Amino acid sequence: MYQLKTRQICFFIIAFLPITKFFSLPSLITSFAKEDLWISALISLAIDFITLIPIVYVCKKTDKTFFEIIEDVFGENGAKIIAFLYLIYFMSKAILPLNEQKDYVEYTLYTLKPNVFYFLPLFILAFYMCFKRIRVLGRLADILWVVTINGFITLIVLSLSNADFSAILPIGASGIKNIVHGSIASFNWFGDSAIIFLLVGSFKWEKGSSLKILLSYVLGAVMVLLFMIIFYSIFTSIAFRQRFALTEVSKYTTVINNLGRFDYIGIFMILFSNMFALCLPIYFSSKLLDYIFSIKIIWISPVIVVGFQLIITLFLYQYFVSIEMFMTSYFAIYFFVFGNIVPIIISLITLRRNKYAIKEG
Amino acid sequence: MNISKNLDENTKKLKQELVSDDITFLDIKLNNTNGILVFINDLVNKDTLGELILRPIAFCKETPSENALFEMFLSPEKKQIFEIEKLIDDLLLGNAILLCDGISFGLSFGLKHFEKRAITEPPTSTVIKGPREGFVESLSVNISMMRRKLKSKKLIFENLTIGEYSGTPISICYIKGIARKSLVEQVKKRLNKIEIDAVLDSSYISKFLSEHKFSLFKQIGNTEKPDILAGKILEGRVAIFVDGSPIALTVPYLLIEDFQSASDYYNSSYSATVARYIRVISVAIALLLPALFVSAELFHLQLIPLSFLLTIVNSIKGIPLSPSYEMFFTLLIFEILNEASVRMPKYVGMVVSIVGGLVLGETAVNAGIISAPTLMIVALSGICLYTVPELEQTFSVLRIVFLIVAGTLGAYGILIFIALLAIYLISFESYSTPLCAPFSPLILKDMKDGIYKGFLQEFEYRPESLKNKNKRRIKIKD
Repeated sequence: MYQLKTRQICFFIIAFLPITKFFSLPSLITSFAKEDLWISALISLAIDFITLIPIVYVCKKTDKTFFEIIEDVFGENGAKIIAFLYLIYFMSKAILPLNEQKDYVEYTLYTLKPNVFYFLPLFILAFYMCFKRIRVLGRLADILWVVTINGFITLIVLSLSNADFSAILPIGASGIKNIVHGSIASFNWFGDSAIIFLLVGSFKWEKGSSLKILLSYVLGAVMVLLFMIIFYSIFTSIAFRQRFALTEVSKYTTVINNLGRFDYIGIFMILFSNMFALCLPIYFSSKLLDYIFSIKIIWISPVIVVGFQLIITLFLYQYFVSIEMFMTSYFAIYFFVFGNIVPIIISLITLRRNKYAIKEG
Repeated sequence: MNISKNLDENTKKLKQELVSDDITFLDIKLNNTNGILVFINDLVNKDTLGELILRPIAFCKETPSENALFEMFLSPEKKQIFEIEKLIDDLLLGNAILLCDGISFGLSFGLKHFEKRAITEPPTSTVIKGPREGFVESLSVNISMMRRKLKSKKLIFENLTIGEYSGTPISICYIKGIARKSLVEQVKKRLNKIEIDAVLDSSYISKFLSEHKFSLFKQIGNTEKPDILAGKILEGRVAIFVDGSPIALTVPYLLIEDFQSASDYYNSSYSATVARYIRVISVAIALLLPALFVSAELFHLQLIPLSFLLTIVNSIKGIPLSPSYEMFFTLLIFEILNEASVRMPKYVGMVVSIVGGLVLGETAVNAGIISAPTLMIVALSGICLYTVPELEQTFSVLRIVFLIVAGTLGAYGILIFIALLAIYLISFESYSTPLCAPFSPLILKDMKDGIYKGFLQEFEYRPESLKNKNKRRIKIKD
């Protein structure tokens, strides 16, 4: 039985996928691509969009789930290897955003920097979420897209008055090499199509679903690009130092002088949706672990994956800069391969087999 | 055990079982046949007993056959019973029973007569516009009120008795063709499973009907008003009446129900929509304001505008308690006053509100024990919670939890707790119906009675959240 509806997939894309890019990613890309940060982001978004197209067509042509598809393509043992590689992908994908969120919470939300334990309840949320079925993700998306959009609009409206859009001109001034470098560094935060790939077969295909899903992705992409452009337009040459873009973009508006940090309403909305978005890689990791080792006891996988992330957050935070450098340089290729290349290959093989099956049928 | 033709044997069995002094065994004679009339003294209407039962017995000229015996009484509510146990059950319900020598069944006459409370407006759901009648403790009166509202042959009442010692009559009410068959069966199945000493109120039953017994959240709807109940069962819900309780239960329950007031449907859509938003905002204030204030004071001073911050600083100067303890104790005092005012006699209640509200509050502020903003926030939070009285119990517990989270983890903790609650609530289902519908899962067609209150003409179809087969409820003829 289908657990999701196309509508929920669209809301899922809008609610979760753009917001993880609003924290430290803009400053990270700026450090490479400067005023062309939006072009770097656009390249990553375009790659994801291209990946999404065959995935959407797989959804149209077959009812099979992700696990059934990889079993068809690679056989049972091969499927487990692929699932294991995806487990590594999702586990690593979660590390940087979680640490980035931890820093964000510690440095911007509290008047005095709290200790790391203030951030740890997020792992309770992740743990609890792992027990829930995919249907719950759809229901979350049903309400969270409103939260994300409202938070985004609040921040954008408050920050527009401070933006000098001429700062992003001339387009392409930082050179193709830097733009591409910025794009490669951002692979950890992109590769969203892989998440959609894991949802294949869990929703009922309806007429016009392809268009709706692709348009939702475009809307999410527009949100990301708009945020990047406004971010650079406000901070220009010091943008690369603004690690916590979300709190910074709107704080110079005149409304704040009169009403206090009014923009925190929008920030908290984004932060709220982002908490769930951060839990998604952990959620999928636990499902992959269940599949790989055929685990039937529901708490084992959540304990392992949440425990792993917890240990990294607790004990490796002093090596965060090194981890970030590794993830955004050498390991970026892994994100690219499993976030984009592998889904495209598997989707194309599935579509081809499906075509022959129809012909033979 | 079957009733025998021998009267002495039957009488002996009955007297063995029924030893209480308030049960009357009246020997009678039907011409030459001996008989016995048994009833509970204070439960039967003596006038009706004399008129409809004893008079025909007194004027009986010949020994009646089995058929004639049933026909000779004019009581409109009479039935034949063949087992002693059922006869006793009927007697305990307040009916009179008659046994005759040579007759292998007993006759039961519905002559119940209890003192009843008059129909009044329920104190929990008063309205300015709309019907003011409320259910009472008598099951038969409540059923008659429903029949008066819905004069349809499809309005079904199915009766059963629960409670080993209370033998409480319970009635399941629904509209055939609108309520899901599976839902009715599920309710019946759950009710039939209950084995309990006594059912003293419908809240006893609601605990057994709930699917998640440890949940803090309500899973069964309830109402004291026939018009609301009629509306609910017309949407496809099943109602459960319990004799002795003025509160009818309804399943399935949606969280949005408690934000919908009866007056919404009698006032203009615009004012109803505004009222609904006010309720939602009030609940958010009641639940979160104390927690947000404490977290802002403790961890996030940057969130408070400077002028307001100065006011707070001035007011908390010299307060011996930390903001979270201060808020916690003020809330505790509020809850104590609340609890006391509910239980105290009305004439003392007035004194409690004056002493609690004015004397305690003002003196505490003047003495520098609590600050004025804290007192104001607790008062506001307390008042706001009563805009949705049905959720008061749940939310007053959550308010304390939010306060503890705010005092220890700050705003991020509050956000995480809201997120945990959100996951819990959206995955919560009762009777195959999601608690948070029509918001999650999103059901756009039901939004006209969710995010806003539409015009009556817009309510063309029953709510999809309740998964009815009979969908249409309004049709405008050309």
